[in-house]
Amino acid sequence: MSDTQTRGGFTGDPATALTVTGTSGCCGNPPQAGVDLPEPAVAASPCCGTRAEAAAEGSCCGSTAKTDAVAAGQGCCG
Amino acid sequence: MAGTVSALAEAPFAGRRAGSPGGNAARDWLSEQLRGLGAEPAADPFPVRAVPEVYAVPEITWSDGTDTRRLVFGRQAAVHLASADVPAARRGQVAVAGAGDPVGRWLLVPAGMSLFDAYGHGDGALGLLIGRPVDADGWQYTMLAGPDPGPLPVLTLDPDTYAAMFAAAPTGLAWLAGNTPIRRADVTAANLHGHCRTASGRSPDLLLTAHYDGVGDHPGLRQPAAADNGSGVAVVLEAARVLAPVLPDGAGFAVALLDAEEIGALGSAHHAARLRRAGAAPQVVNVDGAGQLHEAAAVEAGGPAHRLLAVLDQAGRHTGLPLAAGPVASDNRRYAAAGLAAVGIGAGMGGYHSPADTPDRVDTATLVAVCRLVVATVWLAATTPAARSAGHRPSPDMTDSSSLQDRSLS
Repeated sequence: MSDTQTRGGFTGDPATALTVTGTSGCCGNPPQAGVDLPEPAVAASPCCGTRAEAAAEGSCCGSTAKTDAVAAGQGCCG
Repeated sequence: MAGTVSALAEAPFAGRRAGSPGGNAARDWLSEQLRGLGAEPAADPFPVRAVPEVYAVPEITWSDGTDTRRLVFGRQAAVHLASADVPAARRGQVAVAGAGDPVGRWLLVPAGMSLFDAYGHGDGALGLLIGRPVDADGWQYTMLAGPDPGPLPVLTLDPDTYAAMFAAAPTGLAWLAGNTPIRRADVTAANLHGHCRTASGRSPDLLLTAHYDGVGDHPGLRQPAAADNGSGVAVVLEAARVLAPVLPDGAGFAVALLDAEEIGALGSAHHAARLRRAGAAPQVVNVDGAGQLHEAAAVEAGGPAHRLLAVLDQAGRHTGLPLAAGPVASDNRRYAAAGLAAVGIGAGMGGYHSPADTPDRVDTATLVAVCRLVVATVWLAATTPAARSAGHRPSPDMTDSSSLQDRSLS
């Protein structure tokens, strides 16, 4: 099951942030080109699974979604 | 948060260059904000050498032999960091470095020629003229970190002016009159710490950071530094307001508003060294630029940050904020270099280091989105078992603000 409930978080392995090859030095972070903010309704979604699943599980992640996410190597909260 | 950004961008703070009266006034104002959060502020001063300052508007005029034009400071001409301080205008013919006699002439430095090589061709020259791109708003953005001053005045020219001079130089009729009023000052900068909660046992210890300094105003040219990094400071203060009263007992939590980031992240270097000496190892979340979110917020991590990254990823999913690995060349690098788990978050900015970095270009929705991410990250780090096991017991020296309170606020 893919994480279709939210666009948030990393799309790949978060650990790639440990191997960023960018500007050297420590003097500011130049602007980047790009797109939009997430909608508030999306922002309020659980990290994976549905809102109903999350409520039933008592966590942000439905058990099936969590199992699938873990099996796929994705992070999953709750 | 928008109010904080606007306040920090106001004229009395003069762009908040480290060690300047405006920077000191901003720190005093931020101290009051920390007090309002219930965090007793403590300033930790440190020396910074040779901070560049353009102390007068450069007067630069040139002619192609037919028309005479005065160049607009900041747009068409600026003073290079490698420039010597020459307060009085020098007038002479415009020539090309490496072509002909340099004596008594301003030398255009061809693209691809290094400054070192230009000096080699510039014995007896009046000064050097270097072409430099401008940003989308037409500004030559300001940097404070760069080369030491050399033997000659050095001006940077926007591409159109540079091309026009290059075209006119071979006629032998082109001339330029200009000065380079730039000086270096040894100053005292200061980080501002706000201690909220002391970690106990092996509970997690979290440190939120953002630099409050900017590149500073130029004479006659305001550079408000709203997105960079009034926006990051606003996010950190708001996150602290939300988190401080509700974090679980035992979790450590502090805020550091850092100075002298624009001069090479010297404030975080100073703080990271203190933390190391004290044996403290908080997990660091640094925000630099929460002005204009685009596709995703950039995240750069360093040090033993795998678990902190996992928590950040969860927080991104909770709040719906997309994250992408990308360079965040900021204070987080200093903490990571000191061996701490550190992430830097950058959500973009407009008007980088220029007069265009104004509050109206800081998107409130971006402030909110990044703040939500930071709040969720700290909350998850403080409450989830995985993160808790990564916690380190910090030394009382750095987690108890009393160790800093004896240092005077300036």
